[in-house]
Amino acid sequence: MGWLRLAFLMYVALTIIYFVTGIYSRSVRREKLEKEWDGDPAREGRTPQERQAFIEAGMVHYDRGLKKRLLWLIYILPTIGFLATIYLVNWQ
Amino acid sequence: MWTKIKWGIRIVLLLIVGLFLHYTMPQRDVVQIINTYNKNTPIGANWMFYSIEDTGTGVETTATIRDIRFIDAVYADGDVMVYRNEDTGWFWPPYFKWDSSTLQAEATNLKSDKANPQWVAVTHYGWRMPIFSIFPNAVKITPVDGPDVRLIPWVNIVILAFLAFVILMIRKMWLQFRERMVDPALADVGETFDAAGERVDAARKEARGFFGRIGAWLNTWKAKK
Repeated sequence: MGWLRLAFLMYVALTIIYFVTGIYSRSVRREKLEKEWDGDPAREGRTPQERQAFIEAGMVHYDRGLKKRLLWLIYILPTIGFLATIYLVNWQ
Repeated sequence: MWTKIKWGIRIVLLLIVGLFLHYTMPQRDVVQIINTYNKNTPIGANWMFYSIEDTGTGVETTATIRDIRFIDAVYADGDVMVYRNEDTGWFWPPYFKWDSSTLQAEATNLKSDKANPQWVAVTHYGWRMPIFSIFPNAVKITPVDGPDVRLIPWVNIVILAFLAFVILMIRKMWLQFRERMVDPALADVGETFDAAGERVDAARKEARGFFGRIGAWLNTWKAKK
């Protein structure tokens, strides 16, 4: 039953890491969108509502994008590493 | 004075992490195996340096004596090394080794004498410390051409690179968190207190350092008076 305990703890830890990284990644994207808007001379003088809409649209795009899906690697890579270690140590 | 203490603590922490990694990460010795055997081994205060109790090979004859497989080996320069050969179980260190019977058979098969040396690379973790009866745990044995063979520690390179990446990411996350959450909140506090000049200084002073910033950020969640 040792492996169940390990798997449980590992996936609990990975879930925490997944959410923290997700928050970080969203924050970075939001900052990038803000800077894109603020640094664009063509957008000078537009209203804060438009800025807000631009950022929200960018975030919706992010939520559907590849980069967000890549976060699943947080679960996938340790699982592969775990299985590879078991194979290499015991069977090769 | 405080700088010295701070640096002292940092160096001690770094040393602990370094020793921990040195103990846990795999290393390879190029040796010749000269003997393999089992020995009833008393385990006492040094239990930390043996496998945890219920991992399989550690057949316990009593509470404190365990039947453990050992591998004797000799380096090219004549120094000797004794490895233990125990399963590691499911937790720490994460080698997930269950094949110590097979490994012992391989070791016995690769046994050789001085006249016809068979050189092998023994992957192991741990330290040999006679004073505490601590032995490194052999994980894998592979035949190599000779005692001068050059082995590149790919596994360690990958692990250390990964650890460096994790530390870098944590740092970046912390800086982002500070920039986006803590600093704006502090600026808010500053604006609120702008009228009462000296209180701003107090708030700023409070917000210094790692925990100061966190504390100040937490304070911004309190209802504003």
